Amino acid sequence: MPERKVKLQVRHLYKDFGDLKVLDDVSFDVHDGEFLCVVGPTGCGKTTFLNSVTKLYEPTSGEILLDGSPVDLRRNNISYIFQEQSTMEWYTVYENVEYGLRIKRVPKAERKEAVEKVLEMVGLSDFASYYPRELSASMLQRVVIARAFATKPELLLMDEPYGQLDIELRFKLEDELISLWKELGTTVIFITHNIEEAVYLSENILVLTNKPTTIKERIENTLPRPRSVIDPDFVKLRMEVTDLIKWW
Amino acid sequence: MMDTKKLKQLAKDSVYGLISVCVFLCIWAFGVRTSDIGIVMPGPGKVIYEFIQSFFVPIGKYTMPGHILWSLYRVLPAYIVGSVLGIVIGIAMGWFRYVNSFLRPLYEMIRPIPPIAWIPISIVWFGIGEGSKWFIIFLAAFVPVVLNSISGAKSVDPLLLKCGEMLGADKKYIFRTIVLPYSVPYIFSGLQVALSASWATVVAAEMIRSSEGVGWIIISSMDTNNVTQSLVGIVGIGIVGFILAVMMRELEGRLCRWTVREN
Amino acid sequence: MQMDSKGKLIPVIEGRKICKRFSSKRGEKTVLEDIDLSVSENEFVVLFGPGQCGKTTLMNILSGLDVPTSGTVYCDGEIVQRPAPERGVVFQAMALFPWLTVRGNVAYGLKARGVPRDEWMERSDYFIKLVGLEGFEDAYINRLSGGMKQRVGIARAYCNDPKVLFMDEPFSALDAQTRYMMQDEIARIWETEKKTVVFVTNNIEEAVFLADRIILLTNCPSHVKKEYRIDLPRPRDYTSRDFLLLRDEITKQMDSTL
Repeated sequence: MPERKVKLQVRHLYKDFGDLKVLDDVSFDVHDGEFLCVVGPTGCGKTTFLNSVTKLYEPTSGEILLDGSPVDLRRNNISYIFQEQSTMEWYTVYENVEYGLRIKRVPKAERKEAVEKVLEMVGLSDFASYYPRELSASMLQRVVIARAFATKPELLLMDEPYGQLDIELRFKLEDELISLWKELGTTVIFITHNIEEAVYLSENILVLTNKPTTIKERIENTLPRPRSVIDPDFVKLRMEVTDLIKWW
Repeated sequence: MMDTKKLKQLAKDSVYGLISVCVFLCIWAFGVRTSDIGIVMPGPGKVIYEFIQSFFVPIGKYTMPGHILWSLYRVLPAYIVGSVLGIVIGIAMGWFRYVNSFLRPLYEMIRPIPPIAWIPISIVWFGIGEGSKWFIIFLAAFVPVVLNSISGAKSVDPLLLKCGEMLGADKKYIFRTIVLPYSVPYIFSGLQVALSASWATVVAAEMIRSSEGVGWIIISSMDTNNVTQSLVGIVGIGIVGFILAVMMRELEGRLCRWTVREN
Repeated sequence: MQMDSKGKLIPVIEGRKICKRFSSKRGEKTVLEDIDLSVSENEFVVLFGPGQCGKTTLMNILSGLDVPTSGTVYCDGEIVQRPAPERGVVFQAMALFPWLTVRGNVAYGLKARGVPRDEWMERSDYFIKLVGLEGFEDAYINRLSGGMKQRVGIARAYCNDPKVLFMDEPFSALDAQTRYMMQDEIARIWETEKKTVVFVTNNIEEAVFLADRIILLTNCPSHVKKEYRIDLPRPRDYTSRDFLLLRDEITKQMDSTL
């Protein structure tokens, strides 16, 4: 694999809430086009971690650099996907996907092209004029993903988007996510509680410790794709990660 | 544990509140000084001075605390009776279908009538003494409490009712242990509205020939063209209403500990 | 275990030709079609199927929370028509009473039926301890985490000593790790306090981990597609080869979510 340049640098990140230390010296790099999964024990501050990266919280100390300069949400194009399906019910599928591009004042013709392309990639071309309440759960999830990818973000942050879905659907959406990621070369940080999911998706896995959260280990995941959950190497890696965070 | 962050937040909130009051007083003082309103209306300093003065120098027969007690004497009994009856009837209407069918039309007819519209009738029925005042304040409290109690009893989560049945509770037990507690927060919001309504209505009630009470302070100021006295009455009504609302919220916090999240 | 007059074993729960149709403005929708199933004593049965396949509707009918359009449910040979304490339910939405403490919730059923104080105290103590909530007896529900809340739901259902325990996706609101922990817990509790359990889930791992038998349902209108007897030794290992193969096989058999 050719050496990729560093996209995101997190340097000595600390975050306290009063007396509660949540992040305790978190440092890591994400390379351009990397698919990084972040796992850790329940309640380990994964959300604080994410919110610090997205500047929803100001970190107590430390810095986050994107392409070498501090993250600036007005300048940098960062997208998020959360667990809740946050479609806007009063907009059609097309308008939902277009929304981010409108905010960024992309010209109309260009918007149209981008939206149509991404809708086709997630297989929703025929549903462009539908309203969210007319769609099934899996289609909604695809709308959300299409919306995030449409703006061609430099960095895509996903916070357990598939937590509540049944397995069969999850695998399908995960496969789609992987092909979108490959096609568009987006840098993805994917946060999950589900270790199997992390092993299935990632190029690298960042294992966090309990609070105060720091990085326990960074594991390279070189399993060939498509991956199989019953492949012994897969199981081995899954157990290895599980052992690192198991608290239950 | 009250952490520093919360305290800071609280301090910030109070500072903002204080600022808004100060700005209001400044605009008032400025307006009075620079425009023609000043001819008929006193500035805030004068009103505050007179308000404090009214605790020592009687207006009419009583000092301010005396008037407040008189008004409370009119509000509280009527409010309590109106609320209790309102809760009973409201819950019954919300829970028992036929009670609702029976009482709903009557209630819907009474509901939109402002309490003060009853003044002439109530004088015919109860005379010009305390009775007629109690009656219209009773109505002011009764109407919102019924409304909220109905919606409380109606909106009980059906899953909880099934759950009660699943655990072996009979109808009576379910009513007592699920329907009633579920309605409590709704009832309280009704009580809160009712309290403001009855306190507001006392002013109107005291128009029916009285010679005491905070409402009377205002009414009598009209006769003597004393705007300052009128404003002093308004300040009195505002402050007492505020204190009552705070007490009510405190009571709710104590009775419904389960709706308040700790930490 | 009961037998009928001919000495045949009567299942604890038996559903015969259960159909359920809902009618709405758009017309009629059949959710369940001709479902036959039976559950024997102390068996752990998992109803498993894709997304909106009507698992919960089926469970509601079996437990008496809902009535079938046609067909009959028997519990210990008697027709089921309404919820009753013999059939305890742990709800997906938890359905706890927020105005009661943990103990108040757990002992609710016993108190409702007039069990003397000593007895309900003792029983609720035992089950609060069993689900690991010791020390939280007097806490109100809103102070508990998601996992703890569902422990209260489980203790409440157990404390009432039902003949059958129905659990409707009890862990679906929990994160993946808490879920593993709760699955371990349920397996442990079930070993300690043997009960007949009907468990609904859309998580195949959970199904294979817990079940004696998995009943696989199809998409709407649902009927039984296949049954699997799970003979893996307990406690089970999520990552053992047999477990993974079985899981994979059932996943492949499952209909796609619509």
